[in-house]
Amino acid sequence: MITLSHVSKMYSPDIHCLKDVDLNVEHGEFVSIVGQSGAGKTTLAKLLIAEERPTRGNITIGGWDITKIPRRDIPFLRRQIGVVFQDFKLLPQKTVFENVAFALEVAGEPSRRIRDVVPQVLKIVGLEEKAVRFPRQLSGGEQQRVVIARSLVHRPKILLADEPTGNLDTINTREIIDLLLKINAFGTTIVLVTHNREVVNALRRRVITLADGRIASDHAEGKYLLQT
Amino acid sequence: MALPITTWRVIVAAWKHFTRNIWLALTTIFVLTLALLSVNVLLGVNVVLDQSVHLLEQKIDVSVYFAADTPDAVLEEAKFFMTSLPQVDSAEVIPASQALDAFKKAHAGDQKILSALGEVDGNPLGATLIIKAKQTTDYPFLLQALDNPQFGSFIESKNYDDHAETIASVQEISRSVRLFGYGLIGIFALFSLLIVFNTIRVAIYTQREEIGVMRLVGASNSYVRMPFVVEGILLAGLSLLFSAGIVMMVTAYADPKIQPMFDGTPNILLTYFSTHLPWIVGIEGGALAFLVAISSWAAVGKYLRK
Ligand SMILES: Nc1ncnc2c1ncn2[C@@H]1O[C@H](COP(=O)(O)OP(=O)(O)OP(=O)(O)O)[C@@H](O)[C@H]1O
Ligand SMILES: [Mg+2]
Repeated sequence: MITLSHVSKMYSPDIHCLKDVDLNVEHGEFVSIVGQSGAGKTTLAKLLIAEERPTRGNITIGGWDITKIPRRDIPFLRRQIGVVFQDFKLLPQKTVFENVAFALEVAGEPSRRIRDVVPQVLKIVGLEEKAVRFPRQLSGGEQQRVVIARSLVHRPKILLADEPTGNLDTINTREIIDLLLKINAFGTTIVLVTHNREVVNALRRRVITLADGRIASDHAEGKYLLQT
Repeated sequence: MALPITTWRVIVAAWKHFTRNIWLALTTIFVLTLALLSVNVLLGVNVVLDQSVHLLEQKIDVSVYFAADTPDAVLEEAKFFMTSLPQVDSAEVIPASQALDAFKKAHAGDQKILSALGEVDGNPLGATLIIKAKQTTDYPFLLQALDNPQFGSFIESKNYDDHAETIASVQEISRSVRLFGYGLIGIFALFSLLIVFNTIRVAIYTQREEIGVMRLVGASNSYVRMPFVVEGILLAGLSLLFSAGIVMMVTAYADPKIQPMFDGTPNILLTYFSTHLPWIVGIEGGALAFLVAISSWAAVGKYLRK
């Protein structure tokens, strides 16, 4: 599903952020990526959605080589990867429904399809009752669930979540992770970037540890190994 | 495939953004209206100056005074000959009797001249031929052409009042006004370009989160850009409308004021602006919409790199 071969990323000649990363994620996997701050986790995530381009190496997503993806094709890549970023906010002046619908609107989807799909994804995240609320009327965990709902509208094969639980307490974190597991059970490949030791240890799924831009470890049923 | 719905969404987004940032929009419209007004004021001044030159040129003619005993046939011959020249706009004979009446009228208060006139037998004045050229530059040629053997000997005197100096000075004034005007327009255009570009940048800055979200959920670049471009065109259209309204009001006020300067010709400005309406609207509106659309396009570009 996702293949990186010999990927390096330099932001400038002296910022060498990813170094010769080899990685293969199969369809339907749930992979956690951990590592200290500055290890290059977010950079890796950005490479996957072509927000940044690798300096060296190749990236393939679902058989599509996106290493040198032309700019006009990026929107189509983005519609195949659901993205949940910690600082990737909801639009405050739109309701929950409108925020989710927005992702379909910008892709030129017809209104009838929007009316069908939005309630479906809101149901998956358990917010169908709160569709007419504005983001400020929701808790942090609920807001993050709206973001996840929005990332699901294109039925992505991959869901990429960078610190989706960064600002949340234990209970809300639990809910988000359960939601990700549920989405994974539907067959969506999940790539989760996180700092949260308990989350990773409780998941008992594949864990990749990045250290200083390299893959330091890759365990099939891993634990959070770094001490912070 | 879903082009109409996308177009509709773009227009709705542009309209929402316009109403949400109404003060920003009003500022932009204000600046654009000022820039358009400066262009239109220059156009108006140009018209007035052109009209003045035209009017002065019409007043130029050559008066040819024939001897008192010139036979009518010679007069006709002279008129026919001059009219047939391609440079001549009109040639008109004022008969001797009319010339005398005009002379008496002109000197109505002067007893000496009138009594002197009475002492003379019959009419001492001859007929006058008044010739207008099509172009002011043709007069020297016409004066030469009058030295024609068939009627040249009957000519007593010629009077060519060429107003050349007046025309030259009006032309000089209009040249410098135009130069000054172009400079003014240039400065206005530059200022409005900067201000508008900046306004649009601010407007887009307030939208950066929305733009970020749009891009991450897979909006194409043109889908992000088009609402801003459409809004820019809306702003340009409104500015055009406002400036047209102001120009109309100023025209209605100024036309009666300048009417006496032009021998009572009414609505000089109105006539100009209404006959040139498609051109003015097309060029000013087109240039403005183009500028604003390009600025919007460029300003969003900053958020679309990568
Ligand atoms: N746009 C950029 N330009 C230059 N350097 C950058 C840029 N983005 C990230 N970096 C640098 O690359 C390195 C890796 O950054 P990255 O954001 O990938 O780390 P991270 O593992 O996500 O850290 P964190 O856990 O704190 O989010 C850091 O040293 C960072 O300073
Ligand atoms: Mg990060």
